[in-house]
Parts: sequence; C-alpha cells; structure tokens
Amino acid sequence: MAVMTKAGDWKSYQRVLLPPVKNLHQLHVYREHGGYETLKKVLTEMEPQDVTAEMKRSSLRGRGGAGFPTGLKWSFMPPVKPDVPRYLCCNADESEPGTFKDRQLREYNPHVLFEGSLVAGDGMSLKACYLYVRGEYADWITHMQKELANAYDSKLVGKNMLGTKHNMDIIIHKGAGAYICGEETSLMESLEGKRAYPRIKPPFPAQSGIWKCPTTINNVETLACAPLILGRGADWFASIGAEKNPGPLLYGISGHVNRPGVYEYPTGMLITDLLEIAGGMRGGKKLKALIPGGASVPVLRADMIEGVTMDIESLREAGSMLGTAGMLFLDEDTDMVAFLRRVAHFYHHESCGQCTPCREGTGWMENLITRIDDGEGNLRDLDLLLDLCDQMEGRTVCALADAAAWPVRNTIKRFREDFERRCRPAVWAVNA
Amino acid sequence: MSHVTIDGREYEFEGPQSLLQFCLDHEIELPHFCYHPSMSVPANCRQCLVDIGAPVRDRETGEIRLDEQGKPVIQYFPKLQTSCSHIISDGQVVHTARSSKKVEEAQRDTLEFLLINHPLDCPICDQAGHCPLQIQAYKYGPEGSRFEFRKVHKPKKVKLGPRVVLDAERCINCTRCVRFTDEISGSGQLTIIERGVKNYPITPPGGSFDEPYSMNVIDLCPVGALTSVDFRFQARIWEMASTPSITTTNAKGSNCDLWVRDNLVLRITPRANPEVNEFWLPDEDRLTYHRFNENRPLGPSLHGETESASWDSSLQRVTEILKNSGTQTVFIASAYATVEDNWMLIQLAEAVGGQVAGYISHIEPGHGDGWLRTDDRTPNAQGCERLGLAPIDFPLWQARIESGEFQAIYILEDDPVASELCSIESLEDIQVILHYYSTTNQTLPTADVALPAAMVAETIGTYVNESGRAQRVVPAKVIKGMNRTLMMQMGLSRADRHGTPFDRWHNESHYIDCKPSWEIIPILLKALGAKTGPLGPRKIMRLISDTIPAFKGATYGAMDLSGVALPAIETEVIS
Repeated sequence: MAVMTKAGDWKSYQRVLLPPVKNLHQLHVYREHGGYETLKKVLTEMEPQDVTAEMKRSSLRGRGGAGFPTGLKWSFMPPVKPDVPRYLCCNADESEPGTFKDRQLREYNPHVLFEGSLVAGDGMSLKACYLYVRGEYADWITHMQKELANAYDSKLVGKNMLGTKHNMDIIIHKGAGAYICGEETSLMESLEGKRAYPRIKPPFPAQSGIWKCPTTINNVETLACAPLILGRGADWFASIGAEKNPGPLLYGISGHVNRPGVYEYPTGMLITDLLEIAGGMRGGKKLKALIPGGASVPVLRADMIEGVTMDIESLREAGSMLGTAGMLFLDEDTDMVAFLRRVAHFYHHESCGQCTPCREGTGWMENLITRIDDGEGNLRDLDLLLDLCDQMEGRTVCALADAAAWPVRNTIKRFREDFERRCRPAVWAVNA
Repeated sequence: MSHVTIDGREYEFEGPQSLLQFCLDHEIELPHFCYHPSMSVPANCRQCLVDIGAPVRDRETGEIRLDEQGKPVIQYFPKLQTSCSHIISDGQVVHTARSSKKVEEAQRDTLEFLLINHPLDCPICDQAGHCPLQIQAYKYGPEGSRFEFRKVHKPKKVKLGPRVVLDAERCINCTRCVRFTDEISGSGQLTIIERGVKNYPITPPGGSFDEPYSMNVIDLCPVGALTSVDFRFQARIWEMASTPSITTTNAKGSNCDLWVRDNLVLRITPRANPEVNEFWLPDEDRLTYHRFNENRPLGPSLHGETESASWDSSLQRVTEILKNSGTQTVFIASAYATVEDNWMLIQLAEAVGGQVAGYISHIEPGHGDGWLRTDDRTPNAQGCERLGLAPIDFPLWQARIESGEFQAIYILEDDPVASELCSIESLEDIQVILHYYSTTNQTLPTADVALPAAMVAETIGTYVNESGRAQRVVPAKVIKGMNRTLMMQMGLSRADRHGTPFDRWHNESHYIDCKPSWEIIPILLKALGAKTGPLGPRKIMRLISDTIPAFKGATYGAMDLSGVALPAIETEVIS
C-alpha cells in the first residue's frame, strides 16, 4: 500500500521562501525581485480585515511547532481601541535541538521577514513588531540590524511607510539564550524585562500580551509566508503541498545523512523522498529512527515511516508530530539510550523551574537515563521513567514538561529492547 | 445566586472568585503552597490541582443540555486545573482528592516531586511542626520515595539581610517571598536566580534584604527556607504557647501572636486582621519581645532601699504620700497603659483631689510610613484622648513642676525623665510614685516608691489605635501572684494540653513580680477610704463603655479578638 506524496510535482518546485538569488539579503536585490511590492499593495489597496481574511483562506498553519492556523490567530485580536497599542512578536528564539530553519531566513532573506511583519502589522493595526532573536545568533542579529536600518532609511519601516499614513516600528530584541523564551508567554515576560516564567493562560496574548496590550506572536517562517500569500494570492498558497496544511516548508534535515541542511519544498513530502534529497544515509547505513519535527516530538522507528508524508495529519496518524519540521535521521549504529540521555539533559538544563513537576521531573529523568546509559540501571527504572512522564504531562503552566516527557515516553516505548539490554537483569543467574 | 458542586455537595456563591479561596472560606481543605489571598496567583506549585467540569450548553439555543434523567451533561476539562487560578462559574462540578482518584494521584505525585530535592531535615528545621510541606506530605503525599540519586545542593545559611536567613535547599520555589517584595512591600529586594531545579530566591548582587518589613517572608515561606536570624534554633514550635495579642510599638495596634515558652516571650508573629494589619507585621514590632523578658523589675522598691520591699509596705507608703500631698499631687497618665489603667488613675486623682496633667505624647516625626508604622510610638494615645486626657503641654508643666507647686507626682507607666518633661534634680524635692515596666526607666532612681507594672503580654486591657479601633489583650505569660487557671484565654502549648501539671511553666524565676495598674490602684483607693468602683478590667470597661460616649460599644464581648471600631471623635491634631 504505497501512499503517494502530497507534494505533487516537487521535483520542479521553485523555491519562494529562500529563492536562489545571490545577495537577496541586500535591500536593493530584494526590491529588484519584487520585494516590498506586496507591502505597498497591502498598505494602499487592502483593508485590514481583508488581509486577515486572505490569511485565513490560505490555510497557513503556524510553523513554530504547534501548527495553529495563522489567519485564525490574527482574527483573535480584539477590536481596535484608540489608546491601547497592539503588538506583534516575531518568535525568532529558535533553539530546540534539531531545529535550525529560521536561521536560514534570517541570514539569506531577512527582508521577507520584515515585510511579513509589516503586512501583519497592517492586517492587525499594530504599533510595533518585536523581533525576539535568540542571543546566541549574535552575528545574524548585527546582520539583520544592518538590513533593518537600510529599510528604515528607505522609508519602508517607521513613520509614513512607503509614503502612506501607516506607521509601524520593528525592534530587534536580543534574548539571553534560554529555550523557555521560545514559549510565547515567557517570551513576553522576557521582553518586559522580567524573568522568563511562562504565564497562565487565559488570558491569552491577544487579550493581554506585552504590557497587558493585545499581542500576536508568530514564528519567523510563518511571518515570511505572509507577503507570499498576499502577493500571489491565498489560492496559489493553498494549492502548494498537502491540502490541510499547505504551503512551502523549510525542512531542516540533520543527523546521519550525506547532505544535511535546510531544504525548501512543499508540505506533504514523503519522508523517503526527503531522505533521498538529503543524499541518503551516510555510509550506506540503514535508517533506525527519525525525529520528524525537533527533539520534543515522538521518535519514529524506521518501519513506521513507510508512506508517511510531512504534514500535520499524516504524522499524527503515524504517531508523531510535524513540529518545526526539523528532521533528525538516525542510523542503525545509533545508541538510543545515549540519544535520549542527551535529549533529557537538554530539557533538564532548560526547564525554567517555575512548576514543580517540570522542575523536579526533568532532573530525575536525566538521572535515571544517565544511570541506564552507564550500565547501572534496573529494569524497574524504565517503568519509573514512564510513570514520571505521566506525572509531568499536562500538569504544568506551559508545554515544556510535555515536550520533555514525549521523547522519553516514545523512545522507551518504541525502542524498549535497546533500553532493556542496557539495564541490569531483574533476576540474576545463581551459580550452581 | 450561582451554584457550584464540590465533591457532590452543592454550594452557593456570588461574584467572581477563585475556587481555592472559595474552598478555604468554606473549610474545604485543598493542599496548596504558592497561593496567598493577598498576592498574585502564579499557580507554580501545582499542588492544588482538581478535576473541574462544566455543564454543556447547546451551541444554538445556549441552554444547558440535559441527559435522560434530566440532569445537566457535565463535560470535564481535559487536564486537571489549578484551583487557585480557576475562577468558578455557575453549574461547575469540582472533584478534589476526596472524590477523585485522578486528583488524589496528581496531588501525591506533586508532593513526591517536591520532596525529592528537599533535604528532609525536619528534626533540625525551625518550620517543623507547623510546616505546610510536612503536614501535606503526611496527609496527601506518597508513602516513600522512589528517588535514588544525590539531591541537588544549593547554598545554605545565606544571610539575605540583617534579619532573614535563607536555606536554599529547603526552598520549594513557591515565589511567595519574591511576590511579597514586589507586590506588598514594594521593595523588590528579592528575585529568583538560576534555572530549573537550581532556582532559589536571593537579593540582587550587592543588595541586602533590609526593608522594614523583611521578616514577613519568614511567615509566608511554606517551608523552613527563610528563617529569622533572631529566632533561628531558639525553640520548637510545639514547646511554645501562642496567645493572640496586639503590638504596642506604635499606634497602629497591629494584631499579633505572642509565642511563649517557659514564661519567656520568644517571638512575635502577625495575626491576620483585615481591618488593621491584614497578614503583615513590621520587623520593629516583632523584635520588641526582649523587653518582656529582660531588665524586668524584681518587685516593688522604696527609695534608698536595695532590697525589694513587699507590695503591702510599698502600697502603704504610697497611701501615706498621697494622704500628705492631697491636692498638691500631680498625676501623669500614660499612652503606654491600657484604657482601664488610665481610667483608674483618673479615679485615684479624683479621690485624692489632685490634678491629672495629661499623658506624655511620644511622637517621632518621620517614623511612620503610611502603612503599619506610625509617627506615634505609643499604643494608646487615642484611648487617652477618648478618656478626656490631653497630651501634656511641656513648657507649662515643666515650669509648674519646677516651681515646687507639687508635693508628689504619680506617674503611670511612663518615663518623664527620659522624655525630658522633668529633670532628676527637679524631682529631688518631690515624692515620686512610679508605675514602671523596665529597670532601664530613667525616672526610677528618683522614685520614692517604684511599683512594677504588668506589660501588654501580662495584663488584660484595652488599647485604642490611631484609627479609633478598640482592641483588647489577654495575658500571654504568668506574673507572680496571678492565678493562671482563671485566665482561661491564655494560649496553651502541647505540654500544657497533654502534659502533667509539672510540665507547666515550671521555672519560677521567669515569673515577674508585677501587677496590672488596674489592680494596684483599687488597693490604694480602698486604703484612702474612697470608693473602689468596679473591680477587674471587664467590669471597668463595661462601665466606661456605658458612661463615656467615645467608648460606646467597647465591651469585652464586642471586642473579642479582632477589636471593634469606635465612634469617631474630634481630637486635637497631635503635632
């Protein structure tokens, strides 16, 4: 039973997010290739509600991991009140292991991100956009700041953009490098200068966001899609890739493949096709496991990826998630215990420590997995690990506890033999 | 009126309120650590998780959908909800650990997590015995732990400021202390540092946690992470008896508990009273307990005699002095003394025919902060005013005392020498009768008869705070000659409740030989042949509330332990 790819004729796909144009990051090159034309069209010809309606019609789903419909999110913004400013946050705090797609956009096509923010600004009548960039990306921050200054100089951002009456600012904010700042509510806390503890929802950011003002938070890639949708039309966008989850998608392929990197293709690509694009497994080894969307999503065994396509529906059926489409291919030599140890260490290190289950549970998990990896583990430790997953999941303010529990639960469930082999036997042989 | 069903029982409620607060108000126990009624809700301890369901409404008609039996169809939230952050609405159904296995397990799991890195040093922890973590771990926690690793080590014995010590390992990161400095006191002197399991509260680099309300975080801390420099390792909680009282450091009359072991006051903690101090107490109010224990008189004394005299001979001497001086006696009332004491003094002045000069006002400009500290450093200036006593006009009375107009001066529980009303020299030719608390009283060397008076921790009486709230106190410790069993309201320690009679207050050297002024003065009145009036503070106060309009309603029954607001009076502005 071979399921066909949902990406259609992907071999002749023309890249749109990262088009093959030299020096596209420079403002004049970007403009020569039609850059900021969409913004002009939106500012002069379109009403804000039409922008949001067009976004809704495109069926774009957020690229930050949760896959929430973007147009719907934009429409959650309350009616405009004259004395209440409204904000956009661009979440560029990308820091999950296995996810590195936004970095390419920031490096090679920053203006599409600026244009996307401004388009969103018009659609939601915003005052400013905060670009929250992970601090470790220091080089790209200077790079983007330079380009942003050029855009300001060309009157594309700021007061009276493109000679219209519209005003909007873009502020690049450097994060201090905590994974938790990628969670939307703690990102806002961090922007406000506070400790990045996630907030309780409700109230949702659209009601009470930065400085208690209506706020929308979008991923870099999501915002980069906005100028494409409004420039070429929602129908064009919806026709690309998988029906329910359409559009161009940046696949960050890493692991034991011959040509790791960021690849732009439509959504709904067959995993096997993507593996082929990335040059197949290194050294002709066999595939053992795949993490399809960043370290937090459930791992898939090699026998589970047959006919699975890279879109939200298909991956859910297969028992995983699309996440950020940061695909990590692991070959047959991979030690799944060591792999999980590293993942558990990451979540232990990055837990903000606000809620009890996550603060205490992530550390305990790492302790247990480390013990198993060191050959000191017991079989009962595996059941305890699964228990801890139950104790953490769904009991915290934000989803970090869930993100820490899923890989542990699924790696143990799907590779139990690997773990059992490393544990001390439950019954010891008695010497006769 | 809206309804909410908790564990199968229906309750009525009105207006938006948090489920946890509603449960606390209705005595439905829910374990929790981070929630505090007067601070923001971070929902970070995850201990108060409950299962909540709401009636399903029809999308079109908006009516509640009913099942075959005509009962509303309840749809439960997919995840357990923290009751502290949940605002209840009409028709909701709540299951706590008493009616839901799922909730019981969740609460047990959270406690297991809380305890894995907690040092479990309860045997040497000051909080043990009244520790929410300890109590709830026994009640809702797992039987043992499955944690077999080294616990996380964090700084211990960190002196956050002059009065508060941190043991970061005991901390469960509820952030109550941080929220107190952010939201209540506004000093912002504490913050959480580090990340994840290494988190703990600390001052910013170079800072010190020295705000005047810093010790409140000790009471707020649900574990023994924050302890008092002063009280640390002094006593176990069950060795002490706590008695409700008020603080007398200033005119706010903040409600407090006095903690007594072996007849020594060991600490003062706030007692919640929304009308006065809510849950808080300034540090200065807490650290004044030493004066109940130290420098206390050994008994009444006569001038020039080193050995303390007997009460009988001392009071006889006072009677002689008053008989001789008669109208040439000046009486000085006291804003430190109770309403009853001051009223008795007025009766004595009338019987003798002397004059009452008024009370010495102790205003320290700039000391007040508009919150729980006031410029007035006395607890009962308002009570004196309401008895018709005015602050002493210093220049006038200084001159009159120095002119030799008076043969005797009768001072109620104050120190005119220290307050510079009169010098020691000017009192040399006058007979001085002094009711006093402490041997540091500077008028004491010139006193012809010195009578030790009971302090707030030892007496029964009424104080009126600056906003006209009458509050009465009960004795927290025993004095010599007082029949303790008659003082039914004194707090009991565990030894008192469950021990043998020999466990009780056995160290007699801690019994102070003093008497309340309301007990001393009637003896003098009797000796002078005057009418003694009502005996005992309760009767005195009933008479006062019946006869003086400014004290209308201030009976012991009405005041109880939270005080009663008195009718407003016009007082002269105390400058």
